[in-house]
Amino acid sequence: MLLNYIGSFLIIILGLYITIVKKNLIKIVIGMSLMDSGINLLLISIGFRQGGTAPIFMSDLKPGAFFVDPVPQALTLTSIVIGACVTALALSLVIKIKAHYGSIDADKVRRLNG
Amino acid sequence: MEALKTLLPQIFYVLIFPGFLFCFIFGLFLSGIDRKMVARMQRRIGPPIMQPFYDFFKLVGKDHIIPRKASKKVFLLAPIFGLISIVIIALFIPIFGFTFQNNTADIIVILYLITIPALSLVVGGSSSGSPFASIGISREMVTMLSYELPLVMIFLAIGRKAGAAINGNVTFSLADISKYQSMSGIMISKWALIPAAIAFLLIIPAEVGTVPFDVAEAETEICEGPLVEYSGLYLGIYKLTQAVKMFIMGSLFVALFFGGSGFSNIYLNIILMIVAVIITIVLSVSFVRSVLGRLKVEQTLKFFWTVPTALSAISLILVYLKF
Amino acid sequence: MTSYFSNLPIIAILAPFLGAFLVGLMGGRKKLLNVQRSIAIATTFTSFLSLIYLIKPVILDKYIVAYWMGNWKPESQWAIGIGLEVDAFSLFTALIIAAACFLSAIYSFKYMEEDNGLDKYYVLFQLLSASMIGFVLTGDVFNMYVMLEIMTFAAIALTSFRNHLYKSVEAGFKYIVIGSLGSSFILLGTILLYSQLHTLNLAQMAALLHGNYTPVSILALAFMLTGYAVKAFMVPCHTWPVDAHMAAPSSISMLLSGIMSKTGVYALVRILYMIYQSTGRPEMEFLIIFWGTITMLVGITMAVVQTDFKRLLAFSSVSQIGYIMVGFGVGLSVNKGVAVVGTMGALFHMLNHATFKSLLFLCAGAVLHQTGTTDLNKLGGLSKKMPYTTAFFIIGTLSISGIPPFNGFVSKWLIYQASFEAGYAPVTIIALMASVLTLASLIKVIQSVFFGQLKEEYKDVKEVPLFMRIPMMVLSAICIIVGVVPNFVSKYLIEPAAFSIYNIGNYIDVMFEKGYAAKMFKETVSIPSMDYTLAGYWNPLSWLILFMILLIALILFFSFGYKSSNNKVIDDLINTRYETFTGGEKEDYNHLGENDMFWGMRQDFGRYFRFIKGAHSGVVNDYVLWVVAACAIVTIYLFTLM
Repeated sequence: MLLNYIGSFLIIILGLYITIVKKNLIKIVIGMSLMDSGINLLLISIGFRQGGTAPIFMSDLKPGAFFVDPVPQALTLTSIVIGACVTALALSLVIKIKAHYGSIDADKVRRLNG
Repeated sequence: MEALKTLLPQIFYVLIFPGFLFCFIFGLFLSGIDRKMVARMQRRIGPPIMQPFYDFFKLVGKDHIIPRKASKKVFLLAPIFGLISIVIIALFIPIFGFTFQNNTADIIVILYLITIPALSLVVGGSSSGSPFASIGISREMVTMLSYELPLVMIFLAIGRKAGAAINGNVTFSLADISKYQSMSGIMISKWALIPAAIAFLLIIPAEVGTVPFDVAEAETEICEGPLVEYSGLYLGIYKLTQAVKMFIMGSLFVALFFGGSGFSNIYLNIILMIVAVIITIVLSVSFVRSVLGRLKVEQTLKFFWTVPTALSAISLILVYLKF
Repeated sequence: MTSYFSNLPIIAILAPFLGAFLVGLMGGRKKLLNVQRSIAIATTFTSFLSLIYLIKPVILDKYIVAYWMGNWKPESQWAIGIGLEVDAFSLFTALIIAAACFLSAIYSFKYMEEDNGLDKYYVLFQLLSASMIGFVLTGDVFNMYVMLEIMTFAAIALTSFRNHLYKSVEAGFKYIVIGSLGSSFILLGTILLYSQLHTLNLAQMAALLHGNYTPVSILALAFMLTGYAVKAFMVPCHTWPVDAHMAAPSSISMLLSGIMSKTGVYALVRILYMIYQSTGRPEMEFLIIFWGTITMLVGITMAVVQTDFKRLLAFSSVSQIGYIMVGFGVGLSVNKGVAVVGTMGALFHMLNHATFKSLLFLCAGAVLHQTGTTDLNKLGGLSKKMPYTTAFFIIGTLSISGIPPFNGFVSKWLIYQASFEAGYAPVTIIALMASVLTLASLIKVIQSVFFGQLKEEYKDVKEVPLFMRIPMMVLSAICIIVGVVPNFVSKYLIEPAAFSIYNIGNYIDVMFEKGYAAKMFKETVSIPSMDYTLAGYWNPLSWLILFMILLIALILFFSFGYKSSNNKVIDDLINTRYETFTGGEKEDYNHLGENDMFWGMRQDFGRYFRFIKGAHSGVVNDYVLWVVAACAIVTIYLFTLM
């Protein structure tokens, strides 16, 4: 279980690193999306219970069956949808920036400064 | 009938003393004394003491011209608001333990009301549409910025000193400050507040708008700055505002640093205050005016943010260390 | 619990959502545009009205309205559904939001006439209003995150609405990068809190976390503080709004600048006061006050050197948020009397800032609509053509710098008094200096835009149409009225809100049952007394005297000067009697614009201004680095002190 947590924090830090260092706008969007994936992984791993099964109601379910926590799974679905929306919106903005500025280098897209 | 009984003294206070009439007369009188003192110090004879009265009445009788480019309503309303706010302050300042509005005397209200005349100068000058006025208002804003900082620190130091004795923490009320002074001696006798008093004396010329800090109204450079398009009654109102401001700053100094209970007769108190204000103005305005030249605006900023700020910061620290 | 008003919160949230879907279904046909506009106005008015109906039970009868969505009531003292809970503080914020959305809908009737794709504008606008109201009325932490994300999307899409201009697209991209970074931090914090407490309900979290902090919950606090600081623009996470407010259409800029920041502040208050219950902890007080002071300083320093109208207003927004945070920081202090004054000052300033900042942005929008530019170096002398806009802008300037009869004075006075009494005297000094600098930067705008000399190309600029003037009139009236009778506003709106911030026990009890809070806390929660005196301001006799003085002044004014001798001979161009005095030289175009103002100050502090202005470089990566650095500093600070 520890591996999941360490892995998710590593992915989050990698996503942050890409957003800080890389200059290409599409790479920045990839970094944002990677950070979202790391958070989703963290969220799923929180809900884990040893020996539990998937929290789905089936027809032959006995009372007292042992589930993993269903709430983080619901939260993760919401978060995945939000991440997809953010990526779509950001990429459409990148297309428009290319049409106006002619390049997608973050050092050249800086007319609003000061 | 009861309402009229309480209303009549209030009307007297507003209109006659220390409201409109007393402010006007005493302010113009102070301005005349200042000019006479400067002339005598420069070995001239100078104008008669009543000269500002003659100037004011001459200006009221003249015609006024509004330039084509000016926005009329703002141009005409600005001086009136300046005058009103400066007269309102006169109602708040205690004359040796006798305030006219007992519970409406508060330092932050006074601080804001003092900036309104400078603001009315700025807005009036800006609305006249002249390029000289624009330079003047830019310099006036920088001057206002420069003297606000030490002024705030002085007020906070005094508030802390009086408040620590009265309610254990700070106070902002002038009535409390004058009560503290009548209980434990006048404020200037405390060692910690002497730097603050010196800083206040340095701020008075900048507030009043006289040499060496009158770069906003420099007659030789920008033809009176924001006032260049004003004439007639409205120019008279601006000159009157400047004179009343001299009176207000002097009496604020006396109330903050020499206040307390004075004598117990009210007429003697009033005479004492008049004499003290005259001495203060002569000391801080006339002596300085007759000797020095005019500073540039960046020199003004640098001066105010070093010398009076350092003095009032020393005062504030000493007060917090319970001296 | 099943009376009529328990359904009102959900109506307030759902009405604009329904309106958004209806407008989206109608599509882009030109004939239906007026129908779409009226749907937008009708739905925002509906939510405003239902919130007004909630005033009577929540504020007057001191009842807290709770509503479990889908009727999932708590099972055996554990919350399993999403709950909406409206107490006085939520209602106060929601009223500000609903009123502003309604006024903005009226303003955008005429303002957005020349754009196309207006049905998408109204869909996004209603999504924005619905999600903002939903954010403050909900009682569930993850629901707050979802509403926040909807708000961010709608705001980003509206920022880059006019995508034929390059600045909208660039501003939108920077907003989405930094905004989603903030949201990710908030989600991280929420997840870490959930892993400790296994519940998502605000009231239950407050009950369970009472006092016993684990290291994971402190890390969660650091992440959530940074995330909401991005939303509420505190330095150094303030770089996105200055681009976004500049590029958005003005009816949206008003909402983004005046209102969205309040939701960030609302969330910070809920976290600090309710979940973590840090009232009485000096280290949290110091952190929030220090953060607020830096925000004030950097915001106003940048505002003095700007050359664009709306960017300057956005920076002054940043510095006013600093005032609010200082007020709430003082509210965490140990000394109960001072804390109450601080909280009330901050709440009052929330209301005032929403009012006058919206007014200033609407005036900026009017100028942009009529002249087509907001560059301070190009405009000038518009007061003769647009007199109403000038008057409203002057009222807004006087309010924001805190001149006495207007509303800014009351709230700033409370904040000065609170910060000085709490022992933070340098903060009072910096706050007063920031106030004077705000006045200076806005006088610069007035001189450059409204007074001065008119350029040739703007000769036939007209005044804005009536529909755009109505919201400005309403906002100015509110400014003046709140400034003249602050006691009325304070008694009915501010005091119940401040009371409900401190009174956590009641909030928790309503969600579950009476006595739950006492059981969890094992002690009673003490509520400080609410008496204070706005010393020196409200005295009926002094107001009568003031009125008399004003009457005398107006008599002077009208009898002497107004009907002047200037009504004749205006068109005589040879007679130079009515020209301005230039010492005999020919009068060309000699307007003093933005570059020439405050030359002395810029010379003296040149290095300081150049440093801060150069630090805002415009590169996205730098801005992200600042946010991460702020998060790191806050985390280290919290871990060493708790």
